[in-house]
Amino acid sequence: MPMEKVIQVENLVRRYGSLVAVNGVSFEVDRGEVFGILGPNGAGKTTILETIEGLQRPTSGRTLVLGMETYKEPLKVKARIGVQLQASAYFDYLTLTEILELFGRLYPQRIPARHLLEQTGLAEKANATVSKLSGGQKQRFTIAAALVNDPEVVFLDEPTTGLDPQARRQLWEFIQQIHREGRTVILTTHFMEEAELLCQRVAILDKGKIVALDTPAHLVRNLPAPYEIKLLAEGPLPAHELEALDGVVATYKGEDGFHFLKCTDTSQTLPALLRWAESRSVRFQQLQVVPATLEDVFLTLTGNQLRD
Amino acid sequence: MFFHLLLADLKMIARNRQALFWALAFPLIFVVVFGLFDLDRPRTIRIAVVDQAQDKISKGLILGLAQIELVHVVTSLPEAEARRALLNGGLGFVLIIPPDLTARAQQGAEPVPLTLLHSQSQPEVSHQFSGVIRQFVDSANLELNNAKPRLAMNLEGVESQDITYFDGVLPGLVGMGIMTFSVIGMGSVIAVYRENRIFKRLLTTPLRVSLFFAAQITARLLLSLVQALIIFAAGIFLFDAHVYGSLLWALVLVLPANIIFLNLGFLVGAFAKNVEAAASLGNLMTVPMMFFSGVFFPTDSLPKALAWVVGYLPLSPLLDAMRGVLLESQPLWEFPGELAILGAWVVVSSVLAVRFFRFE
Repeated sequence: MPMEKVIQVENLVRRYGSLVAVNGVSFEVDRGEVFGILGPNGAGKTTILETIEGLQRPTSGRTLVLGMETYKEPLKVKARIGVQLQASAYFDYLTLTEILELFGRLYPQRIPARHLLEQTGLAEKANATVSKLSGGQKQRFTIAAALVNDPEVVFLDEPTTGLDPQARRQLWEFIQQIHREGRTVILTTHFMEEAELLCQRVAILDKGKIVALDTPAHLVRNLPAPYEIKLLAEGPLPAHELEALDGVVATYKGEDGFHFLKCTDTSQTLPALLRWAESRSVRFQQLQVVPATLEDVFLTLTGNQLRD
Repeated sequence: MFFHLLLADLKMIARNRQALFWALAFPLIFVVVFGLFDLDRPRTIRIAVVDQAQDKISKGLILGLAQIELVHVVTSLPEAEARRALLNGGLGFVLIIPPDLTARAQQGAEPVPLTLLHSQSQPEVSHQFSGVIRQFVDSANLELNNAKPRLAMNLEGVESQDITYFDGVLPGLVGMGIMTFSVIGMGSVIAVYRENRIFKRLLTTPLRVSLFFAAQITARLLLSLVQALIIFAAGIFLFDAHVYGSLLWALVLVLPANIIFLNLGFLVGAFAKNVEAAASLGNLMTVPMMFFSGVFFPTDSLPKALAWVVGYLPLSPLLDAMRGVLLESQPLWEFPGELAILGAWVVVSSVLAVRFFRFE
């Protein structure tokens, strides 16, 4: 049975004057998937999301949600999606319950405010205003408000930006819970570990174009050097000899005297490395195999760091 | 859905203390201030009589003066001191009665001069009061000549409407109240909603934008009526303001005027970068109207050209028409010029508000 396409983006282009924010992007998202759009600031992530949501009009190309074209049937699309905007606040003088109830009224179907607050661990704050919430609580509330219409598709624009590690982890659990409820989630982020943990598939975006689209595991495995061996020896190591070992693509020296070997296949390189060490009577104080991450994928694909 | 939006808007306005202050406390403070100062009460005239005669006629004269309302007679001052008090403003007049007044008057060789010294700083008061003294002198002359008065004057008071300065200021304060509340209040709300991306968040829902604004405007129109009623009530019940015409006409006038002010608020919100800027821009718009459009002073005291320009600001026709229906008991249709200016403002300000409004 073919998977139902919940979101279809076809040749999307968005220009602001002479600036091309999105330059011919196409992708599809299946029902029940958590789909990540990854990229540095200014890559066009938010523009793509807001076009699918019906907040911006495409310069050319089109976006479909649940088979409906956003630009042609915006109200029908909006009724069935939930949106969390980057850095948006809510009314100052209403309580959390009142805000959720008011937003619920804007939709044909709604989830009770109490239920949403319990789900997000904000039941105690039901009668507080948003100004009384911590950063993490605010973000959870923002996502709770995005669920008020029991949406089939949830859009999260950089949901964990600006949160401390603990609040970030709590939010990840919450997003996984939304996923388990059977909702399709599409999120943008510039945190690689977030994408690796949450997303079934990720699109890597750079300067308005998708440079790669696959599962995080595939993206890493397809790197020229998907592993790195991290070494610390008693004496200095001759770099050219390490580079000549089987499967080694490149070597470099890190801080504190560590050597790094980028390699295609650890099952070839490790035995070769150990044989070489024995023949040279080199003793390793530390030896570690580190799999590459999406960070490395991004670096390899664009030549840039994801975060500056 | 409209009802829930309206309810939420009313709740938010009621919980925003700062906005409420501008809406109610600010105009009410003015009501209390103008209510407490009785600006219509005539000032007492203080006169010192230096009586060098101390006889029948001079005593009669002093007794007569003392009976005049609002005249306070001082007889204890010697001439030099009285003159000094006149110079430094402590007294309004000094009347000097020469010695042997009765004897010299009865002798009748030539008129005995009574000297009235007056301060020239208040020519109007001096003129009126010297008339009173002259009249007194004339009747004394007649009596001394045993002449019978041939003409008499009957003073008959006609019951006229007593319109005080406070009566005129009260509608002005109502106009000022709804103006500041709407321009600054609406402007700040628009700026906050844009700054905090609340508009954008609302745009992600199937809510129709027109419905959202309809609820906002309805909430604020309702509030402006309540606001006007409270200010009128405070003036009428606490400080006995007179209202001769129909309060209903005044409230009917509040509606189109408030639509204009809300539109100006939308414009303020459209051009202001943030809430602080919205408040300053709103003040920049309302404070000149507050002083020039006749809230406190009649506009006919202004230079002609300026008065003409000011007449076309939205607050002026509102106040003119409101004073007309309340103080002159005229029906609303007696003010077609004012209504035409208000109508033109409703149209122009609506077009501008729609043209310049932006969500982001």
